[in-house]
Amino acid sequence: MTGELTRRDILKAHAAGIAAATAGIALPAAAQPVPGGVTALEIKWSKAPCRFCGTGCGVMVGVKEGQVVATHGDMQAEVNRGLNCIKGYFLSKIMYGADRLKTPLLRKRNGAYAKDGEFEPVSWDEAFDVMAEQAKRVLKEKGPTAVGMFGSGQWTIFEGYAATKLMRAGFRSNNLDPNARHCMASAAYAFMRTFGMDEPMGVYDDFEHADAFVLWGSNMAEMHPILWTRVADRRLGQPHVRVAVLSTFTHRSMDLADIPIIFTPGTDLAILNYIANHIIQTGRVNQDFVQRHTRFVRGVTEIGYGLRPEHPLEKAAPNAADPTKMEPIDFEAFKAFVSDYTLAKTAELTGVDPGFLEQLAELYADPDRKVMSLWTMGFNQHVRGVWANQMVYNIHLLTGKISEPGNSPFSLTGQPSACGTAREVGTFAHRLPADMTVTNPKHRERAEEIWRIPKGIIPDKPGYHAVLQDRMLKDGKLNFYWVQVNNNIQAAPNTSNETWQGYRNPDNFIVVSDAYPTITAMSADLILPAAMWVEKEGAYGNAERRTQVWRQLVQAPGEARSDLWQIAEFSKRFTTDEVWPADILESNPEYRGKTLFDVIFRNGEVDRFPLSEIDPAYDNHEAKDFGFYIQKGLFEEYATFGRGHGHDLAPFNMYHEVRGLRWPVVDGKETLWRYREGFDPFVKPGEGVNFYGQPDGKAVIIAVPYEPPAESPDEEYDIWLVTGRVLEHWHSGSMTLRVPELFRAFPGAVCFMNADDARKRGINQGAEVRIVSRRGEMRARIDTRGRNRMPPGVIFVPWFDASKLINKVTLDATDPISKQTDFKKCAVKIIPVAV
Amino acid sequence: MRGQDYTRRRLRRPEWMVVVAGLLLFVTTTAIAQVIPTVMPQLVGRSPAMETGPAAPLPKWITDDVRKERNYPDQPPVIPHSIEGYQLSVNTNRCLSCHRREFTQESGAPMISVTHYMTREGQMLADVSPRRYFCTACHVPQADAKPLVGNTFKDMSELGAKPAGSE
Amino acid sequence: MEWIRKVVLWAWHVVSTPAGTLSLGFLTLGGFVGGVMFWGAFNTALELTNTEAFCTSCHEMRDNVYQELTRTIHFSNRSGVRATCPDCHVPHNWTDKIARKMQASKEVWGKIFGTINTRPKFLEHRLELAQHEWARLKANDSLECRNCHSAVAMDLQRQTERAAAIHTRYLLPGRATCIDCHKGIAHELPNMQGIDPGWKVPPELEGESTTSSTPIDELRQAMKELHASNF
Repeated sequence: MTGELTRRDILKAHAAGIAAATAGIALPAAAQPVPGGVTALEIKWSKAPCRFCGTGCGVMVGVKEGQVVATHGDMQAEVNRGLNCIKGYFLSKIMYGADRLKTPLLRKRNGAYAKDGEFEPVSWDEAFDVMAEQAKRVLKEKGPTAVGMFGSGQWTIFEGYAATKLMRAGFRSNNLDPNARHCMASAAYAFMRTFGMDEPMGVYDDFEHADAFVLWGSNMAEMHPILWTRVADRRLGQPHVRVAVLSTFTHRSMDLADIPIIFTPGTDLAILNYIANHIIQTGRVNQDFVQRHTRFVRGVTEIGYGLRPEHPLEKAAPNAADPTKMEPIDFEAFKAFVSDYTLAKTAELTGVDPGFLEQLAELYADPDRKVMSLWTMGFNQHVRGVWANQMVYNIHLLTGKISEPGNSPFSLTGQPSACGTAREVGTFAHRLPADMTVTNPKHRERAEEIWRIPKGIIPDKPGYHAVLQDRMLKDGKLNFYWVQVNNNIQAAPNTSNETWQGYRNPDNFIVVSDAYPTITAMSADLILPAAMWVEKEGAYGNAERRTQVWRQLVQAPGEARSDLWQIAEFSKRFTTDEVWPADILESNPEYRGKTLFDVIFRNGEVDRFPLSEIDPAYDNHEAKDFGFYIQKGLFEEYATFGRGHGHDLAPFNMYHEVRGLRWPVVDGKETLWRYREGFDPFVKPGEGVNFYGQPDGKAVIIAVPYEPPAESPDEEYDIWLVTGRVLEHWHSGSMTLRVPELFRAFPGAVCFMNADDARKRGINQGAEVRIVSRRGEMRARIDTRGRNRMPPGVIFVPWFDASKLINKVTLDATDPISKQTDFKKCAVKIIPVAV
Repeated sequence: MRGQDYTRRRLRRPEWMVVVAGLLLFVTTTAIAQVIPTVMPQLVGRSPAMETGPAAPLPKWITDDVRKERNYPDQPPVIPHSIEGYQLSVNTNRCLSCHRREFTQESGAPMISVTHYMTREGQMLADVSPRRYFCTACHVPQADAKPLVGNTFKDMSELGAKPAGSE
Repeated sequence: MEWIRKVVLWAWHVVSTPAGTLSLGFLTLGGFVGGVMFWGAFNTALELTNTEAFCTSCHEMRDNVYQELTRTIHFSNRSGVRATCPDCHVPHNWTDKIARKMQASKEVWGKIFGTINTRPKFLEHRLELAQHEWARLKANDSLECRNCHSAVAMDLQRQTERAAAIHTRYLLPGRATCIDCHKGIAHELPNMQGIDPGWKVPPELEGESTTSSTPIDELRQAMKELHASNF
């Protein structure tokens, strides 16, 4: 590199010059090494987990001059080993949509807040003043049950933990629920009912050990593409491996299926019982395992559909009031119960070829085949979602195929911290951290102790769950409502009759914190601009119990602030005298006159770590503002809930060093397979397997029947409607629609329909139709040739498009146990739009 | 309230469009635009909210075969042709029938990147790693549609990273 | 049983006795008209079996291959010109059609004995079924494709550049025939392991025309192959 040009270089430069001249590009005068030296090219790379689904891929984020300029899959991250899906590869652009919210916006008329006013920019001070005034008004008029908060599995662990403290310890309200209620509440309830402890026993390493994969209502190829690469790697790389995919329509995951099963919506319950029956009838029950590690129960039936209590279906359901009851039975009773589900009967009910059903059952029954069952919304968004989850555990428990490499019933999650925040931190209306509940006095006492608040502060009644919050908003019983990191006007079922009505109810004051003007933000009274992803320090927990932490890498635009900052700042506006009962304050006078900020964050624990502990190479806007390392303080206080009994988290700093750790982390070592001796430090030598979440160490096998969906097609509404996501857009599309490449990859919602069905009804490919249900309607174009290949009588519409709100059409029926909505089954009719 | 928004926005629209055209959808300064920087129903919903509006035909795919510049080297290239009807299953992979190394000379298609030969453990294989089999997880075609809203992402070359030979 | 014998004998008697009262003209004309009617009925019946409705009256066809067809360009497209099952799977020229129909009697056996009467069985046989059709279309130079898609009538300007280039290179000079590249154009593919993409012309065919336009060409080709094998 002397700078002298050889003849060849000159010729090359000459040729390039001609090419450039014709193309109209100015070419640099002379070739030269890197201008400014290689340092000018350097990018500061830092690790972070992906912002999207529950897979929890590791991402390397490249920052230059305060901007994220590139991202790629982290080679060191065990989850994804250098791969990202299309959304992950475009993470660099999600924060830079031109319409980022940069200042609080308040509905105003004549300079003052007005419910029917126009949005006007206001200062944070004014925003919090109005917000606090409204909250105090509601608290005074109606008490703590009239204030509520709706969060998400996209909250960082710190944010969710701060929110649960503010609501339960501050405002004394359990009306806190995450949108994860729509996502994996059924999975969480089933874990608690079966194992007494939430979250999967296995890990992603199971992918490399299993001989068969069974997808129960999950389209991993689109929704968990990186986990799908691990399934594909195994299936295509090892000829003996088999894949079975069950769904109500053919989707991309079916493209890898050896056993493709399309069943009539809702009848998966029958298939599950058939498999149990097949295992018993063919004598392949793992007797030793079943005797030592399981017990049998029967669940109550006819439990209703989680609709409003006056609905005829609820009135007709004898056990709608207490759907959770279970009574003990024995193996023989269970055997007799499932013996009804013969191959012939099941094939007829489900519409599935008996050959496929047998092949599927054999995957489980064959003692030499390691099976990984996987599911997401097909199981969870199901009016019998808890049952469905439990019934798949039945099969794994009967065969003993559980808690060991490759034998793994695995509930996948849809949000980046559905496990880490919504479940582990306990932001559900009935939960406290580390699987504790508000209804248990010992649990409340323990929480009050750790939180250093007087006894009796945490209310003992579960609050309103997601769908109930919407109903209560509409009915005027919930009047102050704060929504963070989610887009529930778009996401909630039956939104125009229920959710939206509540937001615009004149009695209510609605606050929405978001990074972008979503339809939910536009339906609020006050919008708070939020910092997102690497604009703040954060922590997420993925579906395999992996806790991952990242640092703040760039500054949020304008006055946008993280949800944590917003919660903490807002808490400064309240004193204990305003929100706590006089009698508790009387017996605990030392709390008098303190702000909620003092009680929740300046409690000697959360504010324990000084700013000097923050890596000087990174910023931390919340810590700077509050004067202490608030994230570390929150994390360490939160970790005390779980340490020592199976929820153990590592010391906070360790997470900054590694690519996440799977809890329980004991002595710095993560746990791969829980409940199994040799892997799980909480299982004593000689026990083999111990489901220690249950007092007797035994997991529960439940006998429950097939029960029909809340609404099935009839003569008038003659088609099943299924809703869901697409690969290129994440949830409501508020981030991905703002990345031009992702938008162009799937530029709007369509109605996937069977071509023959469409032709028989006289509907053309590409025609505009009205999709009408008993709740409402929306309009979309018909796609008979898209990626989702529908059977006759079933349509699929994704919900990412705010201009085509399919949730105006869906039914707000829930699983009565988990209160999770069934977005996969309702009846609609299709009417061509006459021009 | 949304209804009033709607009329006001419509009145302002021509002016707004000029600003958008001029500033490449950058932040505008008028009060309304600041409050509601976009009138795209796909992002913020229709006006009035909960209204059922018409569904426009979906835009067509770009099929010009012109390779698009990547936003950064790590970005998977987008597909400049239609992939409608392409079968990508356990049985067959239409993409590989042109983009596999052995076929590229005759097909004229770009060879799949060398990274695709790597296993989870980082070993290079003789052919595409099975974990990279489903191309559409990362590579997508593009519809001929205008972005809903601008994106202020800056290319690293605008931020002091000058390519070799550029001065 | 006796009356049957009597009826047969009587009929034989009538047929074998020369006509006494009928004119030759009547008989000839009557025979002609009868022939036309028979032919008409035969052809109508034949054509009836040559419709999509007939093909999809079997659930094997309706639930498997037909469902796959409905998702393709041959079922719905810009101009609404569409191909039905027989357009691609039954030759249009009469002798070939009859030959194909006779072959199809084998498929009737398949139907009766349930060779592919379930989805799992169909999937098992898909490769075999597809190979039959590929071989047939390869042998007749994609005749059924060309009934609608004539190579000389293609407007290369209106194709995408890539398609035009590939057609110019492979299709127009006869280096490849339609089915070589467009396998799976109307149905899902079987396991394609080991099957090269169509445009990869096997080395033994490189430089040769696969179109045998006249019997003379075929004869020449056969002689050439014979000679080649003798040396």
